[in-house]
Amino acid sequence: MLKLRFRRGAPAAGLPVVWPLPAGRDLPAEIAALAQAAGFVAEAGRVLDAPGLPRRVLVGLSASPLRLDWEKAGAAAAAVLAEAPLATVAAQGLAPEAAAAFAAGMALRAWRFDRHRTRDRKPRLARITCLVDDPAACRAAWEAALPALRGCLFARDLVSEPANHLTTRHFADRLEALAEHGLEVEIWGRRRLEKAGFGALLAVGRAAADPPRLAVLRWPGWYAAPPIALVGKGLVFDTGGISIKGAQGMEAMRADMAGAAACAGAMLALALRRCPAPVVAVLAIAENATGADSYRPGDVLRTASGRTVEVVDTDAEGRLVLADALHHATATLGARVVVDLATLTGAIVTALGPHRAGLFGNDAALLASLAAAGEETGEHLWPMPVGARHREDLHSDIADIRQCMPAGAGRLQPDASHAAAFLAEFVGGTPWAHLDIAGVDTQDKPHDLGPAGATGFGVRLLDRLLAAQYEEPPEPPQGRR
Amino acid sequence: MPDIAFAKPALPRSGTLVLPLHEADTPNVPWTGLAAEADAAAGGALSRALEAAGFKGRKGQSTTLWAPGGGLAKVVAIGLGKPADLTPLVAEAAGGAMIPAINQDREATVAADALAPAMAASLAMGALLRAWRFDRYRTKEKEEDKPKLERIAFATADTTAAKQAFAPLRAVADGVFLTRELVSEPPNVLHPVEFADRCKALEKLGVEVEILGPKEMKRLGFGALLGVSQGSAVEPRMVVMQWKGAPKGRKGKPFAFIGKGVTFDTGGISIKPAGGMEDMKWDMAGAGTVVGLMAALAGRKAKADVVGIVGLVENMPSGTAQRPGDVVKSYSGQTIEVINTDAEGRLVLADVLWYCQERFAPRCMIDLATLTGAIIVALGHEHAGLFANDDDLAQRILAAAKQTGEGAWRMPLGEAYDKALRSEIADMKNVGGRPGGAVTAAQFIQRFVNTKDGPMPWAHLDIAGTAWTSKDHPTIPKGATAYGVRLLDRLVADWDET
Repeated sequence: MLKLRFRRGAPAAGLPVVWPLPAGRDLPAEIAALAQAAGFVAEAGRVLDAPGLPRRVLVGLSASPLRLDWEKAGAAAAAVLAEAPLATVAAQGLAPEAAAAFAAGMALRAWRFDRHRTRDRKPRLARITCLVDDPAACRAAWEAALPALRGCLFARDLVSEPANHLTTRHFADRLEALAEHGLEVEIWGRRRLEKAGFGALLAVGRAAADPPRLAVLRWPGWYAAPPIALVGKGLVFDTGGISIKGAQGMEAMRADMAGAAACAGAMLALALRRCPAPVVAVLAIAENATGADSYRPGDVLRTASGRTVEVVDTDAEGRLVLADALHHATATLGARVVVDLATLTGAIVTALGPHRAGLFGNDAALLASLAAAGEETGEHLWPMPVGARHREDLHSDIADIRQCMPAGAGRLQPDASHAAAFLAEFVGGTPWAHLDIAGVDTQDKPHDLGPAGATGFGVRLLDRLLAAQYEEPPEPPQGRR
Repeated sequence: MPDIAFAKPALPRSGTLVLPLHEADTPNVPWTGLAAEADAAAGGALSRALEAAGFKGRKGQSTTLWAPGGGLAKVVAIGLGKPADLTPLVAEAAGGAMIPAINQDREATVAADALAPAMAASLAMGALLRAWRFDRYRTKEKEEDKPKLERIAFATADTTAAKQAFAPLRAVADGVFLTRELVSEPPNVLHPVEFADRCKALEKLGVEVEILGPKEMKRLGFGALLGVSQGSAVEPRMVVMQWKGAPKGRKGKPFAFIGKGVTFDTGGISIKPAGGMEDMKWDMAGAGTVVGLMAALAGRKAKADVVGIVGLVENMPSGTAQRPGDVVKSYSGQTIEVINTDAEGRLVLADVLWYCQERFAPRCMIDLATLTGAIIVALGHEHAGLFANDDDLAQRILAAAKQTGEGAWRMPLGEAYDKALRSEIADMKNVGGRPGGAVTAAQFIQRFVNTKDGPMPWAHLDIAGTAWTSKDHPTIPKGATAYGVRLLDRLVADWDET
């Protein structure tokens, strides 16, 4: 994680200097001549990297940038600086929140995952000095931005970790380590899952050498109320099982736990900022392997809710593990609201591409606040339908519901909506939203706020949602005391 | 197709009696009007039999009684649901639901006298929409399998009001039937030339129809459309239809509707797999919908100016076919690298859309196209994908969709998606890859919406999932749905005529 220092005064000699430049303001005297000579105009998306002593990086912004714009501008600067380990940011004249957001963007973009490189490790941006008018105020703003940042980077680290390193057991260990931040962490093993009847999660994880786990992370918060529940799909690797995937691109399946990682990252962020709301995360962790003991297409599973499910495709395993986790969050833990995140379907990638996650749910207000949080954090969502026909398609001849449409039913199936219709059966009447993040958990190319690879999508969004909607205790029901 | 009549309530001497009944009407609430009369004539046998059969009057419920007494041969009870929930759409669905039960009867009388005349008209509309069938190519159907229904009489106290309410619905139904017929026709019969000829029939309704052939389109510079067509043995056509119904003093910019009319889509050199390719005969459903819509508007003498334009081509592989890698110059002047010849619909729309703006400067433009498989993966078959550059237009379309039961779901547009169309050699390429496939297709079309000289509200309906249905619906038999005709007719009616 990028180290940051705020101080007054002049830049240290020899270090690159970054100039954030909102449109419509006079350019500082130090760079006016440079900007003119290079034809640089301060506007959103413009970056000028001017070599020299000092090296100067000019970053344009719109006239009245929002927090996300400052973050993107910071990220753009970090992208240019790349291998320069030290830099100065000339942030004089900026509001403390703007300076902190700019720095946060730099930190997000400068993140890299090179734990598994043993040689040729390139240097990376490690430390920046922000020159500001009021270092104390800026430090405070930075402290406020830090939790979401650390949560996001924690999630990215988890998502990047390959499946032979991040086994189900190891994932659970990483989550247990979060206890040091004040989270209560409970890990369920196979025996406990059996006792509680988590037939879906157990079936999906059955063939793997490492057993499935359920992780329950609790943040008590400061007020008494039923918790807000975050539910995550944590498939540390997904071969597809007996309905095995094609070889091409299968390596990307190490990221099939990105939903659980995002929930864990959000919990870390909440704990770090001492969030007032009680929140619980329920993470269904398993490896979908092939083996002699694999569950099969045609099997009927009994889920924790008691409802039976006909398995049609063992590669549609995410909705199965979520069924058990959602039931636990709503029926057992009594969540007042539940949001699940999952790299669930290829269909959502076909629908929305790598730019937006699919947003499904049963509660208009919850969906609207999630969409708003997504716009604010640059983790964009798009509402998608769950229609009556989608549910009808899941009619099973033998069980209460089938998990998806059979392969023979035609190539073009609205599988993301089918999956959401399936999940809806396991939340009871609880206000619920489902984010299908299969297209946005990783990016093939560097993006606005990070390098290619894991994005940590969902952490900043969930943190923002909780900050915007759940800082206060819920109103007691009308007419009762 | 049965004749539809409205008549004063009187118990029929022969034929079938249909009783549309509310959920509260059974078992304890007494029936009224014709239903009560029939029940009395049968000594209460009707209500008793229905109760015994578990008929509750729920929406979509239908129960048939044979020789229930009182001299009645057959009584069909149809559920209307709760009275408070009765909307025109519910009445239509009930009207449609009666058809399978009475299709083999020659005559039926519907006891609609307890309903408002407008609801009786909706009931009739639903029955009519469901009774349509396409049997032009059946030569050996057994007599007993053919529908025999010749006449449905709807009993209503105010026949004048019911007829008045039904007249515009009938015109819209005729538009729907025209679309269904065009969409159902096989591709060896309905090629671009034949399609254009059939558009001529709209002249009888007062629509001005112009047909442009390859020569005219070449002169104009329709490089994108002509490129798609060049592999086919049949010439392309563009048909421009104008309905000038706005009263004097309210003349202004017209509505514009544009349809993709690929009469058959093999995919071209980027040929499709054989399985299911026969479905590609309905790759002209966008155009078919525009033609049916024009017929509906003209048929009911809509008080609006409307332009409908369809681009008609056949996409074939052959020695003269366009290749992946070709660069074509569209009518707008923008160049397109054709990466996949199976992404041809957008190429056709590109030229037609630009032409429409150049010539008519419409108040808004809505295009319909069976454009992508991706929209089916995204939404399934309940909603068409709606893309729009204008929130007001999108809201109006969503509202009309809700009113007509032709579902639409808004999908995103944005810079990030547009980037996928960058080409190494031309202004753009014609595909953006599998991710977000329907969105990048819409982005492509948006590049041919000219907003340089001011706003141009535009919407695109991707109807690949809704143009055809593999199962029966209350008012739509299996096959061509004519999705969009009713929605857009309503859009025009609610926007401009009230």
